[in-house]
Amino acid sequence: MTDDNASQEGLDAAEDEIDEEPAEGPGPAADPEEDVEPADEQSVDAEAAEAEADAEPEPEEDTGPTLDDDVMSDEEADLLIPVEDYLGAGVHIGTQQKTNDMERFIHRVRTDGLYVLDVSKTDGRIRTAADFLSNYDPEQILVTSSRQYGRFPAEKFAEAVGARARTGRFIPGTLTNPKYDGYIEPDVVVVTDPIGDAQAVKEAITVGIPVIAMCDSNNQVSNVDLVVPTNNKGRKALSVVYWLLANEVLDRRGAEPSYSLEDFESGV
Amino acid sequence: MSTTDDQQARSCVSCGINIAGTNAAAFKCPDCGAQIYRCAKCRKQSNLYECPDCEFTGP
Repeated sequence: MTDDNASQEGLDAAEDEIDEEPAEGPGPAADPEEDVEPADEQSVDAEAAEAEADAEPEPEEDTGPTLDDDVMSDEEADLLIPVEDYLGAGVHIGTQQKTNDMERFIHRVRTDGLYVLDVSKTDGRIRTAADFLSNYDPEQILVTSSRQYGRFPAEKFAEAVGARARTGRFIPGTLTNPKYDGYIEPDVVVVTDPIGDAQAVKEAITVGIPVIAMCDSNNQVSNVDLVVPTNNKGRKALSVVYWLLANEVLDRRGAEPSYSLEDFESGV
Repeated sequence: MSTTDDQQARSCVSCGINIAGTNAAAFKCPDCGAQIYRCAKCRKQSNLYECPDCEFTGP
């Protein structure tokens, strides 16, 4: 029974998995030391008032938009862009569900239940995917995105590296039906989300070509040959990942990356 | 002998079974470029594969 329970795919984080975030202290006003000196009630009240006054500014310092600082297992990793840029785009934000497949890319779980992806692994996999794609002719790379927020970055990526893109609904038979006008025979497929682009993955399997997939913490990596762990639901996150991937692929070819992040961000 | 060598070369890096059918995948290691074969079952079950040369673990 314990084995069954242990092997069950957890939709919720186990209690021992949850990292304790720095709890907000009770503040100086609640410091027990103040209650230790009962000499004079007025002085105690005055001290408490001063303590409250001192305590008030502290929360204001923390109210600004703070970024998670614990998002990597390797703190000294050499990243493609500063970690603040990754965090600003939300590349590390996962979902409240996790799969066993993606467990090795998850760094921790936040107190609100969201799983945090390891940014250093995301960075490494972007480089690996670029190495992988550089083995293929640009025209033989197919990029797909049925997800709205991934369409523009996917098309821009295809334009940047010279690949082909199929965004929106993936017409069944695109890879398998030679009678279809839009029939193509790519050598590798890059999908934005294995769930949304299930038809593309299915046809890639049928014709036996490798699949690279942007996977979030709730994705299964069935029929995927190379995972790029990232938030695949956010507009900015997808823009950043496709931009980095395009730049790395161009870099592997010896071409000068001429695209900026703004070029990959649509106005949607 | 050459046929045997070919069959050994075309075996799944995860389970060792000989590759057959179109659902299997053949690609170069993303890290070092060594040839990697994955059978249809290991792909579907998302079994981990390890490059024999550079020990890159995927997917």
